[in-house]
Amino acid sequence: MSVAVAVEGALKVYPGPPAPVHALGPLDLAIAPGSFVALLGPSGCGKSTLLSMIAGLEPPSRGRIAIDGRPVAGPQTAIGIVFQSPVLVDWRDVLGNVLLQADLRGLDRRALEPRARALLRSVGLEGFLHRRPWELSGGMQQRAAFCRALVHDPPLVLMDEPLGALDAMTREQLRADLERLWMRTGKTVILVTHSIEEAVQLSDRVIVISPRPGRIVRDLPVELPRPRTLEVCESPPFHALVAEIKRIFQGYGLL
Amino acid sequence: MASSEPLLAEPAAGPSRLRVVLDRATGPLFALAFFAAWEAVVRLFEVPLYIAPPPSAVLFQLWRNLPRIAEYTLVTGGETLGGFLSAVILGVPLALAVAFSPFLRRTFYPAAVTLEMVPKIAFAPLFVTWFGFGYLPKLVIVFLVCFFPILLNGILAFGSLPPELHRLCRSTGAGPWRTFRWVRLPAAAPQLFVGVKGAAVNATVGATIAEWIGGDAGLGYYIQIATGDLRMDLAFAIILVLAALGLALFGLVVLVERLLIPWHVSQRRSSPGGGWG
Repeated sequence: MSVAVAVEGALKVYPGPPAPVHALGPLDLAIAPGSFVALLGPSGCGKSTLLSMIAGLEPPSRGRIAIDGRPVAGPQTAIGIVFQSPVLVDWRDVLGNVLLQADLRGLDRRALEPRARALLRSVGLEGFLHRRPWELSGGMQQRAAFCRALVHDPPLVLMDEPLGALDAMTREQLRADLERLWMRTGKTVILVTHSIEEAVQLSDRVIVISPRPGRIVRDLPVELPRPRTLEVCESPPFHALVAEIKRIFQGYGLL
Repeated sequence: MASSEPLLAEPAAGPSRLRVVLDRATGPLFALAFFAAWEAVVRLFEVPLYIAPPPSAVLFQLWRNLPRIAEYTLVTGGETLGGFLSAVILGVPLALAVAFSPFLRRTFYPAAVTLEMVPKIAFAPLFVTWFGFGYLPKLVIVFLVCFFPILLNGILAFGSLPPELHRLCRSTGAGPWRTFRWVRLPAAAPQLFVGVKGAAVNATVGATIAEWIGGDAGLGYYIQIATGDLRMDLAFAIILVLAALGLALFGLVVLVERLLIPWHVSQRRSSPGGGWG
């Protein structure tokens, strides 16, 4: 089986001052191409750090990480990133924000524009192409950020709690959008989240990470049918998985 | 609620025409009333001309000395604009350099701060000795009073890119130039304009005082002659022109700001903080 992302013995220690902090690891992880994997853990467990290390924005203190067999040394460019905040720029309209990706990469803006428009249409933003970010709701802004992360067609998409700053109803809507985008594009997605339901609803596989220093304590396959409709999310297998993960966190005294 | 009455009886109507006209006229009317009161008080109590001239006398002096005032306005305006523009042209790139060079932050920056702490006027006699009574010493003084607000705000502007935006740029593989062009520069623009507007306010002050100390032309020089002769009506006329000069420069900067960063929160019509930057 080919491997999209390989993490081997990765460890992160922040040297301080005041004192060195052992944030994460050592941990091993192999992610299959085209899969949707959730990194689920309590806040401060180092899951965002792991994402940063995969993106090459932060080096591991020890161990190695490889994407498609190539070792990660420095920022990776064949990826799309979504943050907790949309990080849209005020001086561009929605379409321009998605195409910022093209300009920063030195790609031809006109060549990517049809794709940008199609992506924005697929998340219901076709009527807002020329609106400025501040004229959009938080959910719409985050949808535009999804499109920006996908417009250059990266094989790997990294998401750092992309729904964490949204209200409950918007979050439900965006989960569905996210799954639809993923099912259509077939990318490898790594989603960092602290929401158990979100992890189970969206992923093929939930990697449960312990409190700091973060280690993998369970690697759970999610074999529920897609799309994960309301019926799927109300089914006994869904609830069984959620309960199983809750019991793990209960064991750490977190719940 | 079972009531059939709508919560809002009718769509809120816009302000009436009269209201709009009155709102627009408030400022000019207030100014007119102020000067009328001034005129009345000065005439009623027979205040001597050398203490407070009536506005009518000021306007008369402005009219009678128009050729000379116009000539000196060009002199002072040239010094103001020259010093201001050279401060913008040098200050913005230097701010960028300081923001990204730890070496310059340790060497150039403390020197600039120290220089800023010295009242620039203290240098004026020195500059007269060095550069004579002409254009150059005034230009240098205006440059000095304009330079620091631009440098300080520029360093702040270029140094405060949101970390996530920075991470996004890095993940695209964009080099320093593309990052600067597409993200850093537009992100820094609003704070840069804070500095440039501060400089525009300082510029005429610098030019006037520089002429005061060692000049043979310009509005600052002329004001000194007028006050020396106790011709306060003429002095006020010159002050009026200086105010107009300062407002023109500031207005120009605000106009450029509107054109360059119409997207910024301070420029949005609908925002409560919008309007004059």
